[in-house]
Amino acid sequence: MKHKLTGRVAGAIALATATALALTGCGGSSSSGSGSDTLKLVVADYGTGPDNASSKFWQGIVDDFEKANPDIKVKVTSIPWTNFDQQVQTMVQNKQFPDITEGDYFSNYAQDGLLYKASDVLSKPDNLLPAFKDQGSYNGEQYGMPWTTSSRTLFYNKKIFADAGISAAPKTWADLQADAAKIKAKGETGFGLPLGAEEAQAESLLWMLGAGGGYQTDGKYTIDSAANVTAFTFLKNLVKAGDTEPNPGTVNRTDLWQQFAQGKVGMINGSPALIPIIQKAGVLQDSDWASVPIVGQNGPLDTTLGVCDNVAAFNANGHQAQIKKFLDFAYQDKYQLAFDKEYDLLPATTSAADALASDPIFGPFLTALPKSIQYPSDTSWANVKTKIQQTIGTAVTGDPKQVLGQLQQTATSAS
Amino acid sequence: MSTTLTTATPSALVPPARPPRRRTGKTIAVTIAAYAVAVIFLLPYVEMVLVAGRPANELLDPTYFPQHFTFKNFTTLWSSGGLGGNIATSLEIAAGATLLVLIVALPAAYYTARRKFRGRTLFLLLVLATQMFQPAAMLVGLQREFTDFQLPSPTISLILIDAGFNMAFAVWILNAFFSSIPVELEEAAMVDGCSRVRAMFRITLPLAAPGIVTALIFTFISAWNEFLVALTLSLGSEPSKMPLTVAVNNFIGQYSIDWGHLFAASVIATVPVVILFALIERRVVGGLTAGAVK
Amino acid sequence: MASRTSPLRSIGRAATPLLWIGPAIALIAVVVLWPVVVMIQSSFQRIGGEGYVVGYNGLDNFRTLFHEPYLSGVLLRTLVWTVGVVVVTMLISLALAQLFNQRFPGRRVARWALIIPWACSVMMTALIFRWALDRSAGVINVFLHDLGLVKLGSNHADWLGNPHWAMFWMMLVAVFVSLPFSTYAILSGLQGIPGDVYEAASLDGATSWRSYRHVTLPLLRPAILVATLINIINVFNSFPIIWEMTKGGPGYQTSTTTTYMVAIKQGNVGESASLSVINFALVIVIVIVYLATTKWKEQVDA
Repeated sequence: MKHKLTGRVAGAIALATATALALTGCGGSSSSGSGSDTLKLVVADYGTGPDNASSKFWQGIVDDFEKANPDIKVKVTSIPWTNFDQQVQTMVQNKQFPDITEGDYFSNYAQDGLLYKASDVLSKPDNLLPAFKDQGSYNGEQYGMPWTTSSRTLFYNKKIFADAGISAAPKTWADLQADAAKIKAKGETGFGLPLGAEEAQAESLLWMLGAGGGYQTDGKYTIDSAANVTAFTFLKNLVKAGDTEPNPGTVNRTDLWQQFAQGKVGMINGSPALIPIIQKAGVLQDSDWASVPIVGQNGPLDTTLGVCDNVAAFNANGHQAQIKKFLDFAYQDKYQLAFDKEYDLLPATTSAADALASDPIFGPFLTALPKSIQYPSDTSWANVKTKIQQTIGTAVTGDPKQVLGQLQQTATSAS
Repeated sequence: MSTTLTTATPSALVPPARPPRRRTGKTIAVTIAAYAVAVIFLLPYVEMVLVAGRPANELLDPTYFPQHFTFKNFTTLWSSGGLGGNIATSLEIAAGATLLVLIVALPAAYYTARRKFRGRTLFLLLVLATQMFQPAAMLVGLQREFTDFQLPSPTISLILIDAGFNMAFAVWILNAFFSSIPVELEEAAMVDGCSRVRAMFRITLPLAAPGIVTALIFTFISAWNEFLVALTLSLGSEPSKMPLTVAVNNFIGQYSIDWGHLFAASVIATVPVVILFALIERRVVGGLTAGAVK
Repeated sequence: MASRTSPLRSIGRAATPLLWIGPAIALIAVVVLWPVVVMIQSSFQRIGGEGYVVGYNGLDNFRTLFHEPYLSGVLLRTLVWTVGVVVVTMLISLALAQLFNQRFPGRRVARWALIIPWACSVMMTALIFRWALDRSAGVINVFLHDLGLVKLGSNHADWLGNPHWAMFWMMLVAVFVSLPFSTYAILSGLQGIPGDVYEAASLDGATSWRSYRHVTLPLLRPAILVATLINIINVFNSFPIIWEMTKGGPGYQTSTTTTYMVAIKQGNVGESASLSVINFALVIVIVIVYLATTKWKEQVDA
């Protein structure tokens, strides 16, 4: 027998060591893959096609920024809205932290100490619209910085209305139902109801507001309030009568907005961002559609859902100085206005809003903003929002009281 | 009862059973039936190619065939998509996992087949048991564990994971193949002066080559197609550094669903695998016999 | 002088197996076994959607899970899904294997076609079906429309929007992608049966159906058992099909335990871990029960 045993033993030890080393990771290099001065910017995609993809827009800002600041590099990643929450949460779970996100933000990140305060990364945090300060705050400090805002209105197709013999836009739920039934008789979708996972929480809130309800009352969750149950019972009947598209729980806003733009839907809740989609489809002329206040149970709503999309700055990579430089640069009025023009949204800074106040189309939306209702901002909202997106579609096919009750349970048992 | 069923004889070494002669009429019926089945199995993939070739304005037309077949979806993938990076990433992961399995499973299977060492049954039982474990069932654990490891990139994590989950199958198949090669051949070589290791390389490995190739191709394909773990671990990467399956998934939800590009990318992802499988189609039957009917 | 093995040599001798199988054990331990430990650990911790461990949670995750109103539906559905898909797959693959065992011209090409669904990513196959079931333009609907069975653009054509029909179609896809493996497993079993067995049976006057039942099937038993077991495990853990076709929605009405677990993970990692533990235990129980009832050991030892 050859005396190779010592060699074998040594080999075994070397192999084991090498394996162990490889597995514990060669060095503690951060797995976020960022170089020393590269910022990871993760943005939501507002575009309707490759031409106006948000990645393009942000790349424009980044190019200008890198020219002015040659020692800082920024890498842009854009994510479709349907996946935004899930992907960012997974990134955070994987400890592959971005530096800046633009889209949605959760106060859980602030709670876990993952974020910079707004005052840490902006020179003029007070320029941000004060109406949205609370929504981005945790423990009294602002972490989420509004980047863009919008409000919701009811869009309706005048041509379909005329065709169905409807003379005026609906004002109450009863009107809406009657109108939808007439449109359905003509073969188009009466009311487009998106309760799919992408943004079910928005559509649901609009209907809850219509019945005088909402997600919270005085800061406490009241998802299964009587008003909310009324709202969903109404919706359930609407769906059952066939006045909406089939199976709303599986349909997203993006799909329905496309269909509206194609002239196949009579009414839908939309935001100014729907306008470019209509124009791009080229099927409806400007005179073929109009926008009116959202319909409530007994009359049009005078408060609407004010949505703001937030910027959040993560501190895991220690890039505070660079982030501050970038955010100061990006929040300049010219970029705010350019973004809003590109995507038909509203600004989030007071200075930009003032510049836009006299605009005939957007001025009215702006005046409504301060009075708008917003989403809850507490740390359990993240989990509640996920559950709403995943389950509220069943409130219009099953028992609304039960579904809303379960959501209420999730909200109160979390945190 | 029948020994051919319980010994690990790859059927490549056993002459196939000859069914008794049938009438020609029956053969025709069989042929038609078999081809019909084959067509059904191919239909979805034909559809995939057809949709990939639809121009954007025909995507929502309710027709069977596009009026104008176009390659535009394929070409735009390269120019704007960064698909090349995705292909490279998938290739890295699949090749890395395959290599790792080769390095690790081969010696283990060989040794287990040749020597009755203490703990051999235990080892085989361990291998058998882990064949039951699937990444999907352990996703939470996998994600947290590999996050803690802080490996430099998700690609490395995926190589390890894909290799680990294919180990059991590879060891099983290779063990069966090695067992079926008579020891006498190696011993004859050793009498002539070869060491055991050299005998393994010169005699056994070439004979077991079909089984080895099968096991490796299985691993490659499994890693190339893996979706859930890749999705979970590579979400923080740049879009062009994600594996192909994740990149294809990302076409969903972007501007509604970009079906044309989605299927074009799928076609690109599928072609290498189909070719590989065609190469080993014959072996698959043999490989399965060795592993399955043990 | 009595020959003594030096200590180093005995260590060496004992370590030799480790050298050969050590890396394999190490890889399996790290990638396949350790996550189970982490998973069990996580199920007792309180972890939010960001993956941060907030603290020890005792059995709370399990309690929350068992109070989930959707859980019983998910469990039932998982049972229906697994049993339905496996049974149908095995039955069809028995028939297909018989068919493809015959000799006919171009058999190689036909067999190659059979293998394609296996070679392709399940995720992409699922996407093809999702596309084909589109309410207004999907090719399956176009076909059904031409047959007069369904109206394009109607409610009925929205197959994936209706939970029951969605389950039906998804199970069909699951069978489709499971058939190649099962058929091939049985094919190889068939090829191991010597021809004289059939001749003996026909000499005894058996019809082909009887010889199939009493001769072929018993001899195929090992192959069937293995294929069924592997199918059960694969189908139980199946993810891409449901995820790509309905994401388990709406309201988890098309979810199995695996997709439900991923959906929960987004908001509550601890609860998701507790479901994984249950899931995992279920697989083990199923496998043990299966092995026991099919008297596996007898087969292997015979």
